[in-house]
Amino acid sequence: MMSEYLLEMRGITKDFSGVKALDGIDLRVRPGECVGLCGENGAGKSTMMKVLSAVYPYGTWGGTILWEGRELRCASIRESEDVGIVIIHQELMLIPQLSVAENIFLGREPRALGGLIDFDRMIIEASKLLAGLRMGHINVAMPVSNYAGGEQQLIEIAKALSKNARLLILDEPTSSLTKSETAILLRLVQDLKARGTACVYISHKLEEIEEIADTVTVIRDGRYIGDAPMRDMTTGDIIRMMVGRDMSNLFPREEHPIGEVVFEAIGITCLDPENRERRRVDNVSFSLRKGEILGVAGLVGAGRTEMVSALFGAYRGPHSGEVRLDGKRISVRTPQEAVRQGLCMVPEDRKAHGIVPGLGVGYNITLSVLGDFTTAGLIDENREFSVIGEAIRRLRIKTASPVLPISNLSGGNQQKAVISKMLEPRPRVLILDEPTRGVDVGAKYEIYRLMFALVRDGMSIIMVSSELPEVMGISDRVLVIGEGELRGDFINDDTLTQERILTAAITPTRRAA
Amino acid sequence: MTETTSIAPGPDAIAAAQGERRRTLKLEHFKGAFARYKILALVVAIAIIWALFTELTQGDFLTARNLSNLLRQMAINGMVASGMVFVIISGEIDLSVGSLLGLTGGLAAIFDVTYHLPLFVNIPLVMLLGALVGAFNGYWVAFLRVPSFIVTLAGFLAFRGVVLGLTGGVTIAPVSSALIAVSQSYLPDVAGYALGVLVFAALAVSALRSRTKRAEYGLPVPPLGVDLGKLAVAAVVIAGFFAILDAYRGVPLPVLIVLVLLGLFTVMARRTVFGRRIYAVGGNLEATRLSGVNVQVVKLLVFMLMGAMAALAGIATTARLAAGSPSAGTGQELDAIAACIIGGTSMRGGAGTVFGALIGALIIATLDNGMSMLGVDTFWQMIVKGLILLLAVWLDVATSTRR
Ligand SMILES: Nc1ncnc2c1ncn2[C@@H]1O[C@H](COP(=O)(O)OP(=O)(O)OP(=O)(O)O)[C@@H](O)[C@H]1O
Ligand SMILES: [Mg+2]
Repeated sequence: MMSEYLLEMRGITKDFSGVKALDGIDLRVRPGECVGLCGENGAGKSTMMKVLSAVYPYGTWGGTILWEGRELRCASIRESEDVGIVIIHQELMLIPQLSVAENIFLGREPRALGGLIDFDRMIIEASKLLAGLRMGHINVAMPVSNYAGGEQQLIEIAKALSKNARLLILDEPTSSLTKSETAILLRLVQDLKARGTACVYISHKLEEIEEIADTVTVIRDGRYIGDAPMRDMTTGDIIRMMVGRDMSNLFPREEHPIGEVVFEAIGITCLDPENRERRRVDNVSFSLRKGEILGVAGLVGAGRTEMVSALFGAYRGPHSGEVRLDGKRISVRTPQEAVRQGLCMVPEDRKAHGIVPGLGVGYNITLSVLGDFTTAGLIDENREFSVIGEAIRRLRIKTASPVLPISNLSGGNQQKAVISKMLEPRPRVLILDEPTRGVDVGAKYEIYRLMFALVRDGMSIIMVSSELPEVMGISDRVLVIGEGELRGDFINDDTLTQERILTAAITPTRRAA
Repeated sequence: MTETTSIAPGPDAIAAAQGERRRTLKLEHFKGAFARYKILALVVAIAIIWALFTELTQGDFLTARNLSNLLRQMAINGMVASGMVFVIISGEIDLSVGSLLGLTGGLAAIFDVTYHLPLFVNIPLVMLLGALVGAFNGYWVAFLRVPSFIVTLAGFLAFRGVVLGLTGGVTIAPVSSALIAVSQSYLPDVAGYALGVLVFAALAVSALRSRTKRAEYGLPVPPLGVDLGKLAVAAVVIAGFFAILDAYRGVPLPVLIVLVLLGLFTVMARRTVFGRRIYAVGGNLEATRLSGVNVQVVKLLVFMLMGAMAALAGIATTARLAAGSPSAGTGQELDAIAACIIGGTSMRGGAGTVFGALIGALIIATLDNGMSMLGVDTFWQMIVKGLILLLAVWLDVATSTRR
C-alpha cells in the first residue's frame, strides 16, 4: 500500500533521564511539500528533528517513523542520509579553513586514479551545483571563512542537496541571515519544492512560515497540538496554537521617563585586525540617556557588533575612542573593567561567546557575580541558588533543574540564560546584541517586557538588532550604522519608517553625524 | 517511555521492534550508568587488579607492608596529579613538571646540605620558588599567548638543564634526617584512627547536605537506603584503609599530605570562586572572558598552583631518596597526565576531579608495584601502562553520552 505521505511520524516520544521532551508527537509530510514546524522555545522541535535524522538513533525514542509507508529504523545519521533525509542544524557545521568545494564534498570527495582526491572534478561539480542553485557568484575554491554567515548557510544547504536529499530539514536557518539572504534562501526552498524535494522548516519568524509552508504543524511543551494547511491559517492562528492564548500586540511598548545623558561614546573607531587599512567602525559617536532604549539598526556586517564590542572592551583588534559614564571618561580595556563599571553585554554569538556548555544553567547565570556569594572565601551555595532560582523564574527559563548542563537546553532558553547572566551584575548600561535571536514570540514578548521594567528602574539599554520591526517596536531612539559609519540618529516617533532607516543605512555620509 | 499504539506492520514485527528498542535502551542505560559511576567503576577496577596481583603473588601483594609502600609510591605522583588536574581542566597542559620536580628537589637538597636551612624555612621557600616558576609558565601562556604545550616543552628542557647546571650533575647527599623524615615518618595509630573518623564524618555530612540540596533544587533524591549503603561502603573502605596502614606503621606522612590536598582541593574546586572559574575557563574561554572574568589571572594562578605542587613533590622525592638526584622526576609529567586522564579528566578541558586524578594515580602505582613484585621486565611494564591508558580513554569516549 503506497502512502499518501512521504514521511509519517506517529506518536513520537523521547525522554532525557526521566524528563519528557516529546510526548506523542505526529508529523506528516507529503512528497514535495514544505511543512512549517512551529512551537515555543523548548517545545521539542529540534529534538523531533534529531529523532528523524537519527542523531538520536532508533531505540532511544518511542513511536514510529514511516518512510513511504515503510517503517524506518536508522541507527545512524549516515543511514538516514542514505534514504534521503538531510538535516541542517541550528548551528553551522562548516569547516572554515576548507574551501567551499571541500566542505560540500567532505567525506565523499571524488577520487582520481590511485585514491587521490580529484580536485578538478570536485571544483567543477561544486560550481555546477551552486550555479543550479543561483549561487554562481560563489567561488568554490575559496575558503568558507571568506563568506559571511548568510552565504555559509546557503553553502550548507548546497552541501545538503548534493547528498540527494529527498527531505530537507532546516532548523532555524535564517536566524543569522539578512533580509536579502533570507529572501534568497526562501526562493531556494521554493525551487526545491518545485523539483519535488520535501522539507521541514523550523523558524520563529512566522512571516517566513507563512510565505513558504504548505502545511503547519504546531507543538507545545512536547505535545502535538495540531496541523492545518497554511492557506487556512493566519500567523495569529499559529501564535494562538503555540502559546495557547491570543497575542494581539507583539511589542508591549510602555511609556517610561527618560533622564539625563549617562553614557557617551566618542569617536569609536575599530580597525580590521587582518587589514589595518580597513575601518570596520569609523569614528562613531553617540550618547545614551538614563532609562533610554537605543536601537542600533543596520545591515549585517555594517560594524554594529564590532562597535558594541569595542564599548565593552571585547574588540580583538586595534581600536580607539572614548567612553564616558556620567560625564567622566572611563577605561574599558577588558570586559572585566567594563562589568566592574556597570557596563554589560549579551553577545551575538551564543554558542561561541555566550554559554559555557558543560556548566549547569545556574553556574552559567552566576558566572560574573560569583564573588558576591562568598563568606570567608567559600561560596555560599544557598545564597547562590536562591539567586539562580529567582533568575530562572523571572525569565521563565525552561529547564529540568538549575544544575542541568546549559547545552541541554533549547536554543531560546540558552539565550534567556545568557541574558540573565548579564543582568546579575546589575549594570547601568546593558548592551544587547541580537537579544531575541532564536527566541519564540511569547518569550520575545517577555524579554521586551523585561527591558521596559529595567529601563523604568533607571537602566539604559543599547539594543543591536537586525529585525526592523523589533527596533521600531521598542526603541526610543534609533541609530543607523552602514559600512562602519553612523548614518542616522532618529527619534523613534510616528515619522520614522522602515524606508527611512534602510535609506539611511545605504546612504554614505561625508561626515559622521 | 510509553509504547505507542499499533502500526502498519504485523504483531511479530512490532514485537521484534520493541525487543530491539528495549535492547538498545538497555545499552544506552548501561552507558549512561557507566558514565555516571565512572569513579565507582575505577574503584572496582582497582579491586580486580588487586585481587589479580594477590593471586599471582600468593598473597604477598596484599600485605600491610606492601600496601603501605604502594601508597607511599603513589603519593608523589598524587601530589603532581592534583595540580595537573586543574591545568588540564583549564584547557592547558604542563609538560615541565617532571623537570621542575627535579629542579625543586635539587634546590631543597642544596638548601639542606649546603646551607643547613631548617625544614620550616626550606619547605615554604622551595614551594614558593616552584610557584614562581609556575607563574613564569603561566605568564607565557596567559599573557603572551604561547600555547602551553610549547611553553612547558621549553620548560621541560630548560629546567632540567638548570638542575644539571646547579648540581654539576652529581647527587647531593647526605640530606639531614629532618628532611628524610618528611618521607619516612608515620602518623601513629590513635591519630590515624581519629583521622579516619574525621574523614568519615566529613563524607557523611556532605552526603546529607547534598540530599537536602538536591531536594531543594528539585532534583531526584536517591532513596535514603542508597546513600546509607554508600556511606556504609565508605566506612568499610576507610576503616580498612586505616586498619591496614596501622597494621604496618601508621599513616605515612606523604600519604597524609595527599589526603589533605584531596580535601583542600576538592573544596577549592567546588566552593571557591577561583575553583569554579577554572572549570568555566576550560569550558569556554571566550564566554568566560565576556562575562567579566579575568581569565588570564585564572590561568596564571593555575600554573602557579601546579608549580607549588611540583615543588612539594620535589621535596618529597628528595626526602624519599635521602638525596637530591639531578635525574629525579624524569617522566613524572607523563605519569601525572596519565593519572588525570585515567581518572576521568577531559583533555578538552572543563571537566575533571581531584579525587579521580588520585584514583588514576593509585591505579598507576598499583600496576608499577604489582608488576615489579612479579618481576615483570620494565619494558613490559611500560607497554602495559600504555595500553591501560589507551583503554581508559577509549572506555570514556565510547560511553560518553554526549555526541
Ligand atoms: N540532551 C538533553 N538532556 C536533557 N534535556 C534535553 C536535552 N536535549 C533537549 N532537552 C530538553 O528538551 C526540550 C526540547 O528541546 P528542543 O531543543 O527540541 O526545543 P526547540 O523546540 O528546538 O526549542 P528552540 O526553539 O528554543 O530551539 C527542552 O526543554 C530541552 O531542555
Ligand atoms: Mg531548536
